[in-house]
Amino acid sequence: MARNRILGIVGVALVALATGFLLAGQVKAQLLTPSNDVARYQALVRSVQDLEKTNESSRAKIASLRAEIDALEAVAAGQSAATRDLQSQVADLRAHAGLTAVHGPGVEIDLRNGTPAPDQGGTTGYLINYQDVQDVVNLVFADGAEGVSVSGRRITPLSAFSGSAGQVIIDQGSPLSAPIKVFAVGDRNRLVTALEDPASLPDLRARQVRFQIAVTVTGSPDMKLPAYDSSLQIPHVSTS
Amino acid sequence: MRRRSGRAIEIWLIALLVALVATVQIRSQAEVERSLVGTDTTTLAFLIDDLHRANDALSVETADLMQRKAALQSGGSPAADQELAAEANRLRAIEGLVPVHGPGIVMVVDASGLQALDLQDALNNLAVAGAEAIAVNDHRVGMGVAILAVSGGVSIDGEVITPPWTISAIGDANRLAEAADLMTRQLRADRRVRQATYRVEAVIDIRAVTTERPYVYANQS
Repeated sequence: MARNRILGIVGVALVALATGFLLAGQVKAQLLTPSNDVARYQALVRSVQDLEKTNESSRAKIASLRAEIDALEAVAAGQSAATRDLQSQVADLRAHAGLTAVHGPGVEIDLRNGTPAPDQGGTTGYLINYQDVQDVVNLVFADGAEGVSVSGRRITPLSAFSGSAGQVIIDQGSPLSAPIKVFAVGDRNRLVTALEDPASLPDLRARQVRFQIAVTVTGSPDMKLPAYDSSLQIPHVSTS
Repeated sequence: MRRRSGRAIEIWLIALLVALVATVQIRSQAEVERSLVGTDTTTLAFLIDDLHRANDALSVETADLMQRKAALQSGGSPAADQELAAEANRLRAIEGLVPVHGPGIVMVVDASGLQALDLQDALNNLAVAGAEAIAVNDHRVGMGVAILAVSGGVSIDGEVITPPWTISAIGDANRLAEAADLMTRQLRADRRVRQATYRVEAVIDIRAVTTERPYVYANQS
């Protein structure tokens, strides 16, 4: 009888021990690991947010410095005809390089993400990517656009598009994601015709059908494009 | 009576513990789900790298602009003339209006059936790698230069360019070489491509220029 009681106590103790280990394992796997993942993830997110803040303030500083330089040049131009001539040339060149805000007739192209296709789980074809933006920008320039901006970022002769799924990085700006708004100043009718041509933007049109990506083109009598506010350095180029 | 109230406290304590564990667990899961929407940690790491590089470039630009501002503040009209002449020269190079030279790479792609989009992608890859001036088969390319698919292949600014494509890019030769290496490897895996090579050169001369396009529709604000 006493032997059975001892065996019973040992049995209960073993079951309790096993339950304890299982519980501890479960807590570690389900609770602690996600917490660590979250902490690590949040540290990365905080880094991105800090860098984006620095990026934004640097771009604001650049815009302000360019305005101050313009004002100083205007003062100098008031003192000499030669300086005034040079300033006029530079103003024209700056406008064509995207360093000056411009406005005029044109089009607005809105690009919005679609929905994941049920048979395409895991792919990112439903997201607007940098190549979509690159294709739209190339198309409007090929059809005579005189200036283009993408979600408030002015395109320049040195502009480059990069990014990963769903993110669009233009030059030194922080990443953009859909909805993306492309503004182009130029011949409105020509631009609308080019953008609505079924043969243009083949990849985007295929994904419009497959993933319901939204591409909306709207003509406007007066589009406003901001001035470029990032780096435009060519340290390796020399003129002959 | 005392025994009954002791048992009630035990039950409340257990209920409290269960509620606490459940709350922590649910909050932890919700936080993971909320913060992981859309971006994985690898993407974030690449993003941090890109932003560091971008912010470094912005710092260089800021320093350059501050130097120009200081020169204008101290020098009057002669200093302004000097600054404006240098700026005009730099902008003409950026806009492709004058011949330029400098270090870089020359990539040669011999293929049949490559599209305008393939060339646009290649040029964008070089721009991402810091190309400061680019020409393809002696045609200067840049903003506003149309690269289009035509019946004979691809045209640049209205002129058909026949293979092989010789792409010359001026910029940081190391970064451009990395991009060219990756691109030529990918191109060689394409069945349409007969040959894809690149070479680094200390001095590349780009003589081709684009023509000025006066504004018709745009007005300066």
